[in-house]
Amino acid sequence: MAEASQSNLRQFSDGIVANNPVLVQLLGMCPTLAVTNSVENALVMGAAVIFVLTMSNLITSTLRNLLKPHVRILIFTLTIATFVTIADLVLKAYVFEVSKKLGPFVPLIIVNCIIIARAEVVASRSGLGRSLADAFGCGIGFTIALCILGAIRELLGAGGITILRDLGWHWHIDPKTFEPHAWVIMIMPPGAFLTLGAVIGVVNHLRSRGAAKGGA
Amino acid sequence: MQKFIEESWLILVMGAVFAVLLAGVQTSLAPTITVNQAKALSEAIREVVSGTDRSEEVKIEGYDRKVYRCLGPDGNLVGFAIDAQGIGFADKIHLVVGVTVDAGKITGLKVIENVETPGLGNKIADAEWAGQYRDLDPGREIVVQKRPPKPGENEVQAITGATISSKAVTKIANEALRKVRPELVKLR
Repeated sequence: MAEASQSNLRQFSDGIVANNPVLVQLLGMCPTLAVTNSVENALVMGAAVIFVLTMSNLITSTLRNLLKPHVRILIFTLTIATFVTIADLVLKAYVFEVSKKLGPFVPLIIVNCIIIARAEVVASRSGLGRSLADAFGCGIGFTIALCILGAIRELLGAGGITILRDLGWHWHIDPKTFEPHAWVIMIMPPGAFLTLGAVIGVVNHLRSRGAAKGGA
Repeated sequence: MQKFIEESWLILVMGAVFAVLLAGVQTSLAPTITVNQAKALSEAIREVVSGTDRSEEVKIEGYDRKVYRCLGPDGNLVGFAIDAQGIGFADKIHLVVGVTVDAGKITGLKVIENVETPGLGNKIADAEWAGQYRDLDPGREIVVQKRPPKPGENEVQAITGATISSKAVTKIANEALRKVRPELVKLR
């Protein structure tokens, strides 16, 4: 396979930039639209997905030689469901307020296409090192994409950004001057689609320019 | 049977292992989660009935949710807190409303669970908006208006762009008070 020569580091960085699961692969759109109404929600969702993706890839890669074709998907789903449930319990125990805000979207990580896609494409065919690099890369890429969207939507829609009130941190950006002009639609569903479309447009533009220059 | 085990032993083993893992996580975290939920509730009670040191559950005839007697530091009754729930715009809304000892005035209202629209409906959880309910008359229907409330009319102003959420909270509070208030008078 052509990918065999690709280093693990490349696999990792691809997940963040060149093959970003949200902005390039266009997977996991549902949580991307739903939980990017604030940076805090985006961060916690990202952390949960990194955890689940890592555990899923780890277990799938370890067991890859035992996977019979007709039970593969079943095993992926079983693994993902278990770790999402663990993540949900951990969030409810340690960041109760945020987990209430994320609501049904944490259990919905089970059907997030990114995780099952990486299990199928990478973890079930590659060794542990490559699978873990991929998990971290895609997980971090997912989190970064969500935070970019979250920052845009929260700044324009709520007039400021507040992070991690639960854990006692508090990082506020300039709410007073901007708040009266806040564009409320940005934190509602239409704003999600508008922001996502705009960001993907910019990303595609940058990618086509990179390709035209004879880059990767 | 032999063939069945041959084909599916991995799933069976993984299922068993994951079940044990989940049971372990659940058992160790369940106390913390219950504490979180109880803390959220008792914090809310403290907010809606000021001066509360601790609270005791009471059973109210004809009301299936919890009502609490709020006691001050020296054990005397300072008010009652009523747990109420109902349907909002998006999903259910869970709130606590506090009344004075003689059930003559509302001492506060706090929404503890909601999934209303962020930035709009979920402003019902803001202390500023919910503060409107303070000092209203629990014996009369509370009415939602789209303009600032007139004093003495038992009104609250709806959140701009979130009328349904605002009306839902009021309806839930009205119903709870309607059912519980007559019984409270007997409980003093």
